[in-house]
Amino acid sequence: MIQPQTLLNVADNSGARKLMCIRVIGAAGNQRYARIGDVIIAVIKDAVPQMPLERSEVIRAVIVRTRKEFKGDDGIIIRYDDNAAVIIDQKGNPKGTRVFGAVAEELRELNLTKIVSLAPEVL
Amino acid sequence: SQSASSSNVNFGRGDDADKLLEDLLKQHGEVVYSSGGPPDPTVEADDDAECLSFAVSLAKAASEIKATDIRVLCVRRLVYWTRFFIILTAFSNAQIDAISSKMRDIGEKQFSKVASGDTKPNSWTLLDFGDVVVHIFLPQQRAFYNLEEFYGNATPIELPFDTQRQ
Repeated sequence: MIQPQTLLNVADNSGARKLMCIRVIGAAGNQRYARIGDVIIAVIKDAVPQMPLERSEVIRAVIVRTRKEFKGDDGIIIRYDDNAAVIIDQKGNPKGTRVFGAVAEELRELNLTKIVSLAPEVL
Repeated sequence: SQSASSSNVNFGRGDDADKLLEDLLKQHGEVVYSSGGPPDPTVEADDDAECLSFAVSLAKAASEIKATDIRVLCVRRLVYWTRFFIILTAFSNAQIDAISSKMRDIGEKQFSKVASGDTKPNSWTLLDFGDVVVHIFLPQQRAFYNLEEFYGNATPIELPFDTQRQ
């Protein structure tokens, strides 16, 4: 359940550390809360120095982990320890080259196979 | 006290039962360390054969449209969600468009598999056929994402034609 003002960790090596959601887009059905696989507009609140992305930059991100439990089609319910997102550009390519931590397999059905193929572990 | 005595009796019974079971195990039992061992490689190969022929025909189609540095990787042992990766380099959006539309044609007509993924040419165009995932990169993006290094433990598949290595 990601809504505007939610703080998220960044699960890639793009250089940002913390994001704040400022707009939920593309969430089918529920326009208020974003869940795993939804795209949000976010602002970078904290960034690693000497990297291309800077603080207070507005970017797009895909949510890959949520604390709110997520129910897959096969009945498995997954709840992660943090809210995390991967930064993408307007065309859907990830800004970083590697994704950290486990991601859900359902991202593949949402046409986000690029993120799945960069992840070390797929649940 | 009654409960204690009854529990004592139960313990006695339990001991007897344990001894009986141990004797039975010694006589008839045998320890099973694994069920059947590793899966038979020939069965696995048969299972993969269709996907492999699909992957090789896709790679061949790509080489006909002059894609370079084509690699077919068997990632089955590394990730469970797919079996083969095809990684290749193209040099322009028009070429990417030609390759992806030809691959979609082959998938639909010969192998009845429909691709999801990018519909428009992109700097990293991905076609997801289920068991085979195709990555078409521009040279710059190929060096940036460096997928071969990330899947370095995958077994490369020998291709029946020449492809230009970089």
